[in-house]
Amino acid sequence: MANQVIENLSDLISLLTELFRNGRLTSFLGYQKGTVKFKSSPLIASRAEDLAALNLDDFLHYNLTFYLKEIKGKVGLLVKGCDSRSLISLIKEGQVQKEDLYIIGIPCPGQIDVKKIAFSMGCDPEDLEDITRSEEDGVIVRFRQQVQRLTKEQALLDKCLACFYPQPLLYDVLLQGDYLPPVPPKLRGEDETARKSAAEKWAYWSAQFARCLRCYACRNICPACFCPRCVVEENMPEWISPVPTLGDNFVFHLMRLMHVAGTCTSCGECERVCPVEIPLMKLNEKMAADLKELFAFEPGVDLEKPLPFRTYRQEDPNEFIK
Amino acid sequence: MTENAQKGKTWEPRVLAFLCRWCSYAGADLTGSSRLNYPANVRILRVPCSGRVDPLFILKALRSGLDGVLVSGCHPGDCHYTAGNYHARRKFIILSRLLEYVGLDPRRVQFSWVSAAEGDKFAQVVREVVADVKELGPNELFRIPEFAPE
Repeated sequence: MANQVIENLSDLISLLTELFRNGRLTSFLGYQKGTVKFKSSPLIASRAEDLAALNLDDFLHYNLTFYLKEIKGKVGLLVKGCDSRSLISLIKEGQVQKEDLYIIGIPCPGQIDVKKIAFSMGCDPEDLEDITRSEEDGVIVRFRQQVQRLTKEQALLDKCLACFYPQPLLYDVLLQGDYLPPVPPKLRGEDETARKSAAEKWAYWSAQFARCLRCYACRNICPACFCPRCVVEENMPEWISPVPTLGDNFVFHLMRLMHVAGTCTSCGECERVCPVEIPLMKLNEKMAADLKELFAFEPGVDLEKPLPFRTYRQEDPNEFIK
Repeated sequence: MTENAQKGKTWEPRVLAFLCRWCSYAGADLTGSSRLNYPANVRILRVPCSGRVDPLFILKALRSGLDGVLVSGCHPGDCHYTAGNYHARRKFIILSRLLEYVGLDPRRVQFSWVSAAEGDKFAQVVREVVADVKELGPNELFRIPEFAPE
């Protein structure tokens, strides 16, 4: 089954319609044309008729596995490379059953970072007239009667530029398409922040976390945050005050990271939705780098390998303990 | 500055120690019954196992203004629940590195293995932790007044 390739959208819709008709699917998660320029909206189809709105364009930012927290039953969904890793994590966590899913893989050519393009052009994202992909992984932008060619470094999301898995790791059928060639390993966790002095690091992260509004958008969008009741909403005892003070922001962000450690696949949704642009991916990548170094664990890649905090080895690092 | 320092008194750190019920707590008990001296800066909190110590407890302690945290449990292989301390060790190294990454001195949060027979080691560990924390000074990390965003 895993070698079937779907060539175009109408083939996909007829396949899904067939799956709905024979009861293999009760819901389908896909993309539809968004109401905002350069943004697709998620499509949640519960009948074959809803599939008419299904649309695939160049702006598939959403990680649809997030909806599996709420949409149960026999669910079909579209996954990019990074989303398939979230899916593997969720299966390992026992949040979804692989048998209930029908997974359609999208080879990912790298997602376009509209904010980045608009910033480099010195305008708002809404002012850009058109963005299309060029042949050499870059994009062509039309803006005020000008046509500009941008390279992939100038146009794609940072996470895509550092992506090792543009091809989905888990799927039932694959859509036809090109994907961005995987790049040599470069984790953002080993960045300049890690080399600063302790005081500089604290000053840097204080400035970042001081902006946090505690809107919890990062938690709400996160596929790995699936607790029915989040610790930040507990008030007997109140572990973390909901008031966005610097101290509680620190505790919240470090706690969020500890909770998703091993499940977080650095899909970057938290950073994308953050209204105050806290560089959460730096923390996620730092965690990923540590897990890899200490426990040789890479989240969302291997269905069989146990999660890092569900297992142990006697020879785990011990030098830091007196 | 802390209230004590403002009043001209010498500042003494407060260190919270999470001790496992089976080894380290009994070890601390032995320290006392052996009449060994150790700094009175440590506040002991008994937990069933070092694996019971959620990283949130440690963060909450620092957030609440404690100057240092010590987590102590059974030596690897001696856990009453077979593997609680092995699991704890994984969480702690990740947390420790994370704290370092955001600029918190790792000496504020320390870990040790102390068995029920190591009363002298417990006294030694507490002396070292308190000395480290004294050197670091009061925990004013979360008391930065109105940090102005850029």
